[in-house]
This record gives sequence, structure tokens and C-alpha cells, in this order.
Amino acid sequence: MAKVEVDAPPKGGFSFDLCRRNDMLSKKGVKPPSYLKTGTTIVGLIFQDGVILGADTRATEGPIVADKNCEKIHYMAPNIYCCGAGTAADTEAVTDTISSQLKLHRYHTGRESRVVTALTLLKSHLFRYQGHVSAALVLGGVDVTGPHLHTIYPHGSTDTLPFATMGSGSLAAMAVFESKYHEGLSKDEGVKLVCEAICSGIFNDLGSGSNVDICVITKGQKEYLRNHLSPNPRTYVSSKGYTFTKKTEVLLTKITPLKKLVDVIEGGDAMEE
Amino acid sequence: MTKQHQNWSPYDNNGGTCVAIAGADYCVVAADTRAVGCISPFTGAVRQKLGMLRVISHLGMFGGELSRADKSLMASSGFQADVRALQKVLAARHLIYQHQHNKQMSCPAMAQLLSNTLYYKRFFPYYAFNVLGGLDTEGKGCVFTYDAVGSYERVGYSSQGSGATLITPFLDNQLKSPSPLLLPAKDAVTPLSESEAIDLVKTCFASATERDIYTGDKLEIVVINADGIRREYMELRKD
Amino acid sequence: MKIDFSGLESTAPLCGANSEMFDGISTSPSFQIPDTTDFDDFQKEAIQMVKPAKGTTTLAFIFKEGVMVAADSRASMGGYISSQSVKKIIEINPYMLGTMAGGAADCQFWHRNLGIKCRLHELANKRRISVTGASKLLANILYSYRGMGLSVGTMIAGWDEKGPGLYYVDSEGGRLKGTKFSVGSGSPYAYGILDSGYRYDMTVEEAAELARRSIYHATFRDGASGGVASVYYVGPTGWKKLSGDDVGELHYMYNPVEPTVVEQEMSEA
Repeated sequence: MAKVEVDAPPKGGFSFDLCRRNDMLSKKGVKPPSYLKTGTTIVGLIFQDGVILGADTRATEGPIVADKNCEKIHYMAPNIYCCGAGTAADTEAVTDTISSQLKLHRYHTGRESRVVTALTLLKSHLFRYQGHVSAALVLGGVDVTGPHLHTIYPHGSTDTLPFATMGSGSLAAMAVFESKYHEGLSKDEGVKLVCEAICSGIFNDLGSGSNVDICVITKGQKEYLRNHLSPNPRTYVSSKGYTFTKKTEVLLTKITPLKKLVDVIEGGDAMEE
Repeated sequence: MTKQHQNWSPYDNNGGTCVAIAGADYCVVAADTRAVGCISPFTGAVRQKLGMLRVISHLGMFGGELSRADKSLMASSGFQADVRALQKVLAARHLIYQHQHNKQMSCPAMAQLLSNTLYYKRFFPYYAFNVLGGLDTEGKGCVFTYDAVGSYERVGYSSQGSGATLITPFLDNQLKSPSPLLLPAKDAVTPLSESEAIDLVKTCFASATERDIYTGDKLEIVVINADGIRREYMELRKD
Repeated sequence: MKIDFSGLESTAPLCGANSEMFDGISTSPSFQIPDTTDFDDFQKEAIQMVKPAKGTTTLAFIFKEGVMVAADSRASMGGYISSQSVKKIIEINPYMLGTMAGGAADCQFWHRNLGIKCRLHELANKRRISVTGASKLLANILYSYRGMGLSVGTMIAGWDEKGPGLYYVDSEGGRLKGTKFSVGSGSPYAYGILDSGYRYDMTVEEAAELARRSIYHATFRDGASGGVASVYYVGPTGWKKLSGDDVGELHYMYNPVEPTVVEQEMSEA
């Protein structure tokens, strides 16, 4: 009798059993279900007092805009925030998971979280899933060792940079940073430059659009500027509005009073509050 | 050679949306001016804006200005290389027709010519989705809508291209008239005035631009009526 | 393989037709074939991008008084209804009709082409072409393009010197003479009604009602058929359109809403 090999799946986590099947199916032309993607422009830079993160607010599903004003700058810890690009569910799940681990760690140690801690947790999580968790992140924060900015790729590799961009609009945004970034930017200069980089993504990349979100983190405080800029209002609204002329015709109205079908006990016991 | 060549395709889709509405004595044809392309033609991963286009051809000398004598307008979306080639062939055929008959081709005749031109490339189709609008021989507005290989139909209004699925239901709701196939026939004229139709077209595009990433930048509207032909532009969202 | 281009040659040749300057514009038109090693695969891909009209219900049958032809009017691209007002019964000449199923462009183009050929036959021979002859013309053309991806399923119905005629022709090269056909995705449903209600000695009114009812029931069960049920009759004096009814209206005609007893009227406001 042939030797039977049994691969017991490890407990918990994702199962990769169907990856090969799915590969085969997609080669045969079967389309997998589409996910909500945030074809995105996310950026971050280090200025003289800390870190500024920026993101657009468009979420797409194929060629259709699924959400015109979503949030892509996620909370990690009071002093750390993280911008996410890729599959919306993955970026949200991964930042939430790590955020909770950081909180437990703070309870354990009684100290402020460090950015490198978040970075290590994120990259080891992503590496474990070999790129199947499609989250591309820009992680920024200020801790006891100063301001830090990192990018994390879906497979788990990371960069440490003074200015970073990610997502489908990363080329457009990086063009702005490369030409205008310098060390020791003031806060206003930094916010302006981040706005410009995000706008470059919004206007030149199809996956990015709508508004600009910004998060400024400095020593001991942070400022979350939701919809800091709204450069894309609707361009035309009809003066007279529209009506839907044809209404559903009422062919028949029939009312059966409930009292005829059931016994109603007047003044029964009151329901407990 | 390399694996990439296996995936090579002669077609690309540059997006874009077209709308045409026929009225009792006018015709409105509109299209957005956005063109979209891939940075890497092999993966198609990152799609960016290529630039601005003029998409509505009046089928006079290609690239020429609007003329009072123009009777047909054509708006196309799909693969811009095919669209330009098709509009050029049609403009050339129209020029020959003008030299031979000393008059402009009527819109219904142009509609049949476009159909044949598309069908002659049945085995290597133009990747172009067209609407043709204009005034017929009685001076009534007419709109013809096509598929890529030349099947066509005269309709009261039509939308083609990437935003068509968003616009068509709205136009159906606002303009749907009894089917021309009904017997006894029912009156089927778009009940809109010219300014109302233009207003409707602007609303359609403003809405489509909100949700379709391939539509945007600018809207080009060309109106043709007994008094002549005119063009106007409207800004659309640029993100 | 030799392809039949005879129907495409312009009857009014243009000046300077052979000049290289007008290459591809004024020369007599022909089909451009892509320069590729794998034609079949290219066709499959190219057609996938542009394919229209697939689902259809058309039917035609011969009875005592002539031929009855009926069709729905829906065109769909996958799940999307691209039109509800397609003219699927094509008027070839006053005595002959063609029906349309499969690729819309293929049917429209080749029926128009057939119309030209029939008219030329009439001018050359001083008599109308027979239904047999016309259907053979079409079948021969379609056969010459066999394997190149055309998609046509048509019925040629008409009245000629021998009386009523009905042929089924398709892009695979088939050509069948018969008295009762239905073509398209809704045809099984249409056959169900048609076969159970058919008699040879029907009156024109009875035949028209049977045709209309068959189309209605096909549109009711087949998602790709719908719109308007058009009914044409071809008799000794040529074809005539008898009716065109929205199948939604037909539904309420065949299944009237029974008024039930109102127990209590809802009061206004």
C-alpha cells in the first residue's frame, strides 16, 4: 500500500490550499471575484519637528469609484499613524491587528510605543503571508528616539526614508518630492508639499482622487486634518432638478385589520423594561 | 521570443464616454476629452491620463473647423488609434463624395457608410464604439448607435463608452419613448427643448465623472440645428 | 480557400479607383485580414471584445394562407441589454423577409447584401428571384466564410411563383427547406407553443395569434429575449406587418389581473 502523506494544516491563520487551484482556474480564464482596491496615492515626509502623512480618499472597484471619501490614514498608536494602499480589507485588518498588539504591548511595558516596534510587527506579519496580504504601507510616527518614516511592501520588505510615496500614484507624488523636498522643512512648508504631492497623484493617476487627508505628528501631539483640501467638487448641478415621472400605479388596496385575526387582550401585563 | 510577446495585443482601451440626443429639430452630441493609457502595456497595472483629445468629428476635412454645411457628427470611444483611423477614412470618403456629387452626404447615408466601413474590418475590427448624430433629410434630429463591427440602429438617444452603463439607465428614465416597432405606431419624439437636452447631457456627464474613473477633464458638446452648428465646452472633475 | 467578394464590388466605380493614392479608400472594398500566425485565436479574442446580440427568439412557419414570421427585439451583450428595439425581421424586398439571430452586424450586413443581389437578379431576368434561389445565394456566401467566425442563424421566408417558401440558413453552411422553424436561444420555448398549437389550415388571424403567443412565452422564460413581439405575414401580394406588441403589455393581456374583493378602502391622507 502506498505511503500516505498527511499535511495537517497548522491551526489558525490563512489556508493556502486553494492557491494552486485558483492559479489554474485563472489560467483557464475564470475571473476571480473583485475586491475593493484603494488604487491610491499615499505619502509621508519628515520635517523639522516630526512626521507628516498624506493620502487621497478614493476607493475603486475596477473602473468604478466605490467610495469617494474613504479614510486611508489608519491609527496605530497615539504617536504612530499608518497610510494603507492595496486591498482595502487587508490594509484595514493588518493595521487594526498590529494596533491592538501595540496597545497590549503598552499595557505590558507602560511605555510609549516605538515606530520600529510597529514596523517589525507589520513586516513579520506580511512576510509570513508571502504577499497574499496585499497591503502597501507608509508608516510614520514620533517616539522617544525621534521622528521615523518607513515604507512596507506587501511581501514584507521595508525602507527607511526621509520622504516616501506608495500606491498607484506613487510615481506622480515622488516626482513632486524629488524636486522640492529638502531637510528642515517647517510645518507649513511640509503640509503644503504633502498636499502638492497628493494632488499630483489625484490629478494624474486614475486610481486616486477626491480629497486630501493629512496627519501631522510631532513630539507629544498629533493633528489629523481630515479632508484638508477638497479640490474636486461636482462641476454641474442642473438648475431645475429631476423628477421621476412614472409612478407605480395602485391597482388594489386591501387592508386586513390585525384585530380580526388575533385576540387582543386589553390592559395586559406591561412588557418588562 | 520572450513571454511578453505572447501577451501582446494590437488593441488598447483609452476609455471615454459619448452621448447623443436627437430632438424634433436639433441634435446634441457630446463626449469627454480624457484619454487614458498604461505606463506598461504588458501588465496594464498603472493607468494614467495621457492627455486631452478632441473626440467629436464633424466629418469635414479632418481637423478642419465646423462649417454650417455639416450634417453629421460622430463621437467615438475605445482605442484612439482605431478611432482616428476610422474618422480619417470616413472624412476622406466624404470628401470624395462631395467632389462627385457637389453636396454634403446626408446623415442617414453617412450612417450606412459608417456601418459598411466598420463591417469591412469584420475580421480585424476597429476597436471603436461610435454614435453618429445629425439632421435627417426632413430636418429632424437623428441619432445612430453602433457596435464595433457595424450593426447599427436609429434611436432617439444613445450613450457609448466606459460611462455608458452609468448614463444609459438615466437617459432611459428621462427620455424613454414608445418602441418604433409597435403597431399601431405611437408617437416617439424626445419631448425636450434644445436647452433642456443640453442641460440633461451636462448632468449625465457630471454624474458619470463622479463614479467612472475613465471619464473626466472636459466635456465637449456640439449642437446641430436648422440655424447651423456650434460647439461649447464644460469643465468636468479632473481627478 | 476562395472568398466570394462578388457582392461587395461597387456597381458605380469611382474615378481613379486604381490609384495608389486612394489605397484602401476608393478601391472596391474587401475584408482586411489581420497579419497573424494564429488567426483562430486572434478572432476569438477580437470578437470577444466587440461581440453584440446573442440571445434571440425568432420563428417562421408555413400555413394554408402563406408564411407567418415573428421575432422579439432584444439585443444583449452578456448580461447587459444593449437595445430593446432591434429590427430582427429584415425586409429584403416586398415579397421576402429574413430573420436575424446570432451576430447583429453579420445578419444586418449580409441581408442587405442579399437584398442587392436579389434586385440585380430581378433587373437581369425580369422576374423576381425565388425563395430557393435567394436562400442559396446567402448560404453560398456564408459557406465561403465558414470557420472564420461569422455567426448567423437566419430564416428566409417569402412568396414566389411556386407559392410560399421557407428556408433556414446558418453560418456553418447549413440550408434547410421546411415548414416550421424557430431560431435563437428562446427557440425551445417557442417550439413548445408552436408545435402544440400548429395546424396547416389556420386562418391568418389564428396563425398571427399563435406566432405572437410563441414569442411571448419565449420572452417570458428566456432572459436574453424580450422587448417587442413583431409579427409579419407573407401572402400572395407580399409581406405585411400585422402587429408589434410590447411583451410586457402582452403579459397582462394573457394573464389579466383578477380584481379581488376589496375588504376596506384605504382612506385618503
